[in-house]
Amino acid sequence: MVRKLFLILFAFSLSVNFYANSFRKKLSPDITKIRIKDQLIGLDLKDSPLTQVFVEIESQIEKKFIYLPDQEIYRSKVSLKISDAPLQDVLQRLEKLVALKFKVTENGILVKEKSTSGTTSLQQVRIQGKVLDEKALPIPGATVMLTSENRGTATDFEGNFNLSLNASDLPVELKVTFVGYKTKYIPITKAVNDLQIILGASTESLNEVVITGQGADVRKKRLSTSVVTINEDELNKISAQRIDQKLSAELPNAQINLTGGQAGATSIIRARGVNSAFLSSTPIIYLDGVRMDNLNTKMQLGGTSQGAAISALADIPMDNIEKIEYINGGAATTLYGSDAANGVIQIFTKKGGKLGTSLTLQAESGVETPTNDYLYFDRTKDLLFRNGFYQNYRLNLNGKGEGGFGYSFSGSYRNSSGVQIHDQNENLKADFSTGFRAKLNDKLTYESSFIYVHNEYKRNRNGNQGGYTGLWFAEDGSSSFTGPGFNNRLDELTSQEFEDIKAYVDNAERLQDNQIVVNRFTTSQIFKYTPLDHLNFRFTGGLDYRAQDQNTVITNEYLTATRGQEVMDEGSIQNVQRNYLGLTLELTGQHNWEVGNFSLITTFGGQFFRTKDHQILYSGSNIRDGAQTISDAAVKDSDEYLSEVLNYGVYLQENIGFKDKLFFDLGIRGDRNPAFGENIGTQFYPKAGISYMLSSESWFNSTLFNSVRLRGSYGVAGNLPPAYANEKTIKFDGFLGEQSAYFGQPGNDNLKPEKTTTIEGGIDISLANSRINFSAGYYRSLTKDGLFYVPSAPSTGYSIAQLYNIGEIENYGLEVSANFIPIETKDMNLSITASFNTLHNEVLDSGGAPAFNINGFSSRTLQTVVQEGYPIGFLRGNYGTFDENGVLEKSEPQSYLGTTIPDIFGNLSLNYSYKNFGLFANASYQAGAYAHNWDAQFRYYYGASEDYIPAGEIEANGRRNWLSFTNRFVEKTDFIKIRTIGLSYTLQPKNKAIYKTIMFGFTAVNPLNFTSSSFDPEATISGAAQGQGGASTGGISYATYSAPRQFLGSIRINL
Amino acid sequence: MTMLVVLVMVGCVENPNVTEEVYLENPNAMRSWVVGLQRQLAVTTNTVTVNTAITSDNYYNNYTQYSKIFDRLQIDYYDTDVNNLQADIQELRAMAMYGLEVVLPADPVSTKEQEAYLYFCLGYADLLGGELFIGLPQNNYGEVESWEKLLQNAIVAFDEAMALETSAEMNRVYTLLQARAYYNLGDRENAVQLASQLIGQEVLYSVEFDGQNGVANEMQNATFDALPNRLAPLPRLDFLDPKYYSVGTPATDQKTVAIAKVEEAYLILAEANLGKGDLAAAQSNLVQLLQVVKNRPVVMIDDSGETRNGGKREDYPNQSVPVRFTKEGKYQEGYILNRQEGPIAAHTISGTKVTELDINSTSTIDDLLYLTYRLRQEIFISEGRRLSDLGIKFPVSQIEQLNNPNVSEEYTIPQIPSFLPAESMDDFSVAEDGSITIVEDLNRLIIQNKSLPEVVPFF
Repeated sequence: MVRKLFLILFAFSLSVNFYANSFRKKLSPDITKIRIKDQLIGLDLKDSPLTQVFVEIESQIEKKFIYLPDQEIYRSKVSLKISDAPLQDVLQRLEKLVALKFKVTENGILVKEKSTSGTTSLQQVRIQGKVLDEKALPIPGATVMLTSENRGTATDFEGNFNLSLNASDLPVELKVTFVGYKTKYIPITKAVNDLQIILGASTESLNEVVITGQGADVRKKRLSTSVVTINEDELNKISAQRIDQKLSAELPNAQINLTGGQAGATSIIRARGVNSAFLSSTPIIYLDGVRMDNLNTKMQLGGTSQGAAISALADIPMDNIEKIEYINGGAATTLYGSDAANGVIQIFTKKGGKLGTSLTLQAESGVETPTNDYLYFDRTKDLLFRNGFYQNYRLNLNGKGEGGFGYSFSGSYRNSSGVQIHDQNENLKADFSTGFRAKLNDKLTYESSFIYVHNEYKRNRNGNQGGYTGLWFAEDGSSSFTGPGFNNRLDELTSQEFEDIKAYVDNAERLQDNQIVVNRFTTSQIFKYTPLDHLNFRFTGGLDYRAQDQNTVITNEYLTATRGQEVMDEGSIQNVQRNYLGLTLELTGQHNWEVGNFSLITTFGGQFFRTKDHQILYSGSNIRDGAQTISDAAVKDSDEYLSEVLNYGVYLQENIGFKDKLFFDLGIRGDRNPAFGENIGTQFYPKAGISYMLSSESWFNSTLFNSVRLRGSYGVAGNLPPAYANEKTIKFDGFLGEQSAYFGQPGNDNLKPEKTTTIEGGIDISLANSRINFSAGYYRSLTKDGLFYVPSAPSTGYSIAQLYNIGEIENYGLEVSANFIPIETKDMNLSITASFNTLHNEVLDSGGAPAFNINGFSSRTLQTVVQEGYPIGFLRGNYGTFDENGVLEKSEPQSYLGTTIPDIFGNLSLNYSYKNFGLFANASYQAGAYAHNWDAQFRYYYGASEDYIPAGEIEANGRRNWLSFTNRFVEKTDFIKIRTIGLSYTLQPKNKAIYKTIMFGFTAVNPLNFTSSSFDPEATISGAAQGQGGASTGGISYATYSAPRQFLGSIRINL
Repeated sequence: MTMLVVLVMVGCVENPNVTEEVYLENPNAMRSWVVGLQRQLAVTTNTVTVNTAITSDNYYNNYTQYSKIFDRLQIDYYDTDVNNLQADIQELRAMAMYGLEVVLPADPVSTKEQEAYLYFCLGYADLLGGELFIGLPQNNYGEVESWEKLLQNAIVAFDEAMALETSAEMNRVYTLLQARAYYNLGDRENAVQLASQLIGQEVLYSVEFDGQNGVANEMQNATFDALPNRLAPLPRLDFLDPKYYSVGTPATDQKTVAIAKVEEAYLILAEANLGKGDLAAAQSNLVQLLQVVKNRPVVMIDDSGETRNGGKREDYPNQSVPVRFTKEGKYQEGYILNRQEGPIAAHTISGTKVTELDINSTSTIDDLLYLTYRLRQEIFISEGRRLSDLGIKFPVSQIEQLNNPNVSEEYTIPQIPSFLPAESMDDFSVAEDGSITIVEDLNRLIIQNKSLPEVVPFF
């Protein structure tokens, strides 16, 4: 072990030396210019104005002339006949013909009039102005550079800048940059003192620098895959309690569905289909380069909390985010190695702000109302729900000092009382985070972030946990036999009967006592070291520690009240702790090299990633009411689970650019993992891609298109099997005071990661002055060696399913996204974004293994199943057909009842602004999937409804065939859900001494749902209790709360 | 250097599992393996008792999480409960085989008693397999062996156990189990010979449970601890419910389930005597049996938590009402108990309402055979025995078939005698005054069809 680590370190140091040495031998960067100057030009012009000469030359090289065309000198006519002379010679000849001087720079050929006297050349001119954002707010700290001289300045607190230069140097070009905004180049031909430079926010700029998928900084256009970037402003528009909810309509090619309305509910995140039958499709998440717990190791003890799993995504810090980058799989994820097949979300927190100090205070509050759209009985809402109150307070402080020191602090407190009676879904969250950036010296920068999240919430019983369970009781008809027994047709109850049932439910909810508390601490420490101009290293070290305590107290009083008979000695307390510690260490080097027409970016590095998932259960039974710890219990019990995983990988990537228009991206990652036995060895993940900026070709001179890019790639990414899943084990348990040994898992010496190979191609177009941006792609990914849990044959004596690499899963689809800006005036702006994705998912091969379920109940009732020839997680159950009298004729068991994965999905969003007024809305949609209404099937069984089944059957057979026609309860789950509608008004005072801006906002969360199903197509948590742990496609609607609506007002003050 | 230290520190992971290799290398493997078999015996017993109770006429499942279709005699080879039943029986067999083939050679301090216990578990697994399944594979993905072959395997395994066992008490248990296997095979001579050895002796082997370690007596949970009760007995068997109960915290008070008791020897002898037409000898066997039953413990327990309203069916009586076994029969008192009026009697090993008078007043073979089957039903209730009396056998599971190329289609079809009224086995009607009429008297149907090969082995 130690030797291997040493070897890797050694390899690092070798590569550092190699790159350092190679740099020393490198030619001067001037070589690029010399080569450009050597480019051959041919001209045949007679009496043409100079402007015409420039146009001719421009058409033959990639540089533009920078000059002031209204000057008299440019109208002078020249004749030139040159065949294939170097540019430098041509310019020299021109200098002889006219009184001009030329200077070839990186951004163009500067043209200057020859000074008539030596004194004027020293005359100083000033360029003064202001840099503003699109809302006309000053941008302090923006960089304003003179491209020809490689010097510049930064804007001050009010966005002002001031540059002086020799008049003889005019014209010049200014380059204005600021992170998160589109870079602007402005030609300056004369002194100016009121220049207004407005920077547009960089949404889909191909020149934007991203990290995701590359290990180090690279411009988007150099990548053969697409990276989605969401900046702070966009994130601020969405009022959400958790990161996945925030992103739910923001990632154009991914679907994020929250599977329930209770706090801590799991979400199903799906981008390019479902490429694994054993692991959830949740992407891996990095925060400032540190791997976060995304609960891909599931709860092993105590099962689910109150019937449904808890998501570790619910408490990922989200208050101090600068931007989020997202890649959805394929070649882009290759460098992330053995568990990146589901894509990667990278969160970057703020480490500083604009020059000076900026303080933002925000208060948001409003009402929460239950989403009653899907309740079967009108009166369920009166039994279980009420309106709640939401409040959220936030403080952000950030700024930047002169010496490159940046800082940021953020704190927030949020409390949602929830919409269930007796605060049974109250949710409290507090976040604190700090971020720093410091330039330690010319070569070394240090960045650091510390984040603490505290989240605590209640969760009443859901699904069917036996006994009293709110929704199951009210909506599924089990009220007929629970407690004293009631008429289960709630809407037919007399008011007295309803009062009785209401009193019962009220008591049952009041007496539930359970709580989940999460404390999460995350830190990231980054050192950036730039030993040489074109070589830099980044060391990232950090950890994510998440402690989750789940506590359920069942009192005798509760049992007595819900059962309708006195219970005296069954009180119990169960506590389950899950402690997760993830440690990430990564060293990345990046070397840039330009040689001739080629630019080379070499990225290399290594990553260590270690997780420890330690779960402890301790419970007490026969405990007196009032006790809150198990110390008073008559019987105490405990259990423990431990999983530790270490993965280390090294990667090397070469990004080759040719003439800044054609890019090749090649890379490979090798991974080892000591938990997987010797037979697996090192796993390699290669990738190759091409990106071609068609619009950068000299012959491409369309006025319509701003940029056209073609891209294509091939890449492999993986999913790791769980630690030690390869081993043949013996399990132990106590039995009658002694140690008992029995069969554990059968073992599989050849277990290895499943690998998903993706081939994709696409086009990105920007046209009409970037007012239409369009991106379309097609991908096909094939998972080979798919990890399938093969149910053990009873004859082997093993009851645990063993993982085998036997599956083959195919996903393919189109990914289209577009952004239109139909209105873009000084005062008014309208932007519409839409995405459209198709998806085909199929298990091509199951290696001859029996079908197995990933969720659901038993094989005779209803399951979501993995089977050859079908999509993953399709609904399987009994398919009943009825005769002409409506009586069940035939029931075909284990039939295909529909896919739970949609064919089509996407998001829509709209941004409108008029002066200081803003309107924002976003929505998600899907079509082509099905889900099963298990609530309705129970309702039928318990005689609470006659829906779905012909009257003839009920007359002939009563309810006893209730499981024989499960197909009748399957519904289409097409939907369009408006997630957010937000209105804002920004007040900008003339005198900014007190405050800079105040923004008033009103937000409606989940305001409108249009669904084809009678149930909430997303609320499938109880039917998909595996949640984040195993593969889950939802598909079963069963006693699950829908996310509530919120109507919130907010005020944000910028000081 | 610092980096190296950090990497080494984080570079080691802990393996929480015990691999087979590690297990066998460490001392006393056999000791924990035998306890593991005891545990598995408890697990298997749970699966058998609950599923056979539901499938038979003994109990109706009023609870959502047990099988909702076995009550209707819907036995599908793809059913998860069919697979679980097979898996739990086969796990007992495979663990016993592993103990004999792998653990025994690896552990030098293994004893003969431990080895005998492994053979006992092997034999008992085969006995259950032969009684409950039409056939089962006998090793990993092996050929399917018929139920007769499984019973023969059981007899051989019990022989091995007896050869190693020094305890006379345990040897009597093996003898009884062997007699049971011969009985099921219809081998009257061997069954009688072995059963006769046990008359007048104490034979009782009970499976123990451990509620604090996740292996609670599920039948106890289903009929007593879990409220409302999950299983409801056929009203004429109401007085035998529950067989298992707890006082205080259920986890610490788990009752045992008898899987071998001397009562069976008398029942075997009685049926054998009836088979050869000797009514008087059979009467004498059964009268002696009643004495044995009478000597079994009866405990007064508080069962006032029982409300019989655990699920969809609410017609189960909870008042003391008369019941008749069929609509032609006479209403009889004392079978259905009012549990709210005070403690009730729990027959923790055996109980019956059949009296000496009933036995001695029979004059035909069929009448006494009927009483013999009633006695079998009442004495063995909640012990997982009723299905072989009814002639029901489970098929090999689909998961086995899909994994194992040796499973032909014929083994995927259950054996359900045609005379069984699948839809009404648990049914009864309630008169206005609350008195109960059971729809079918299955013991009567068994006797009427005694010549069918599926039922009554000695006829």
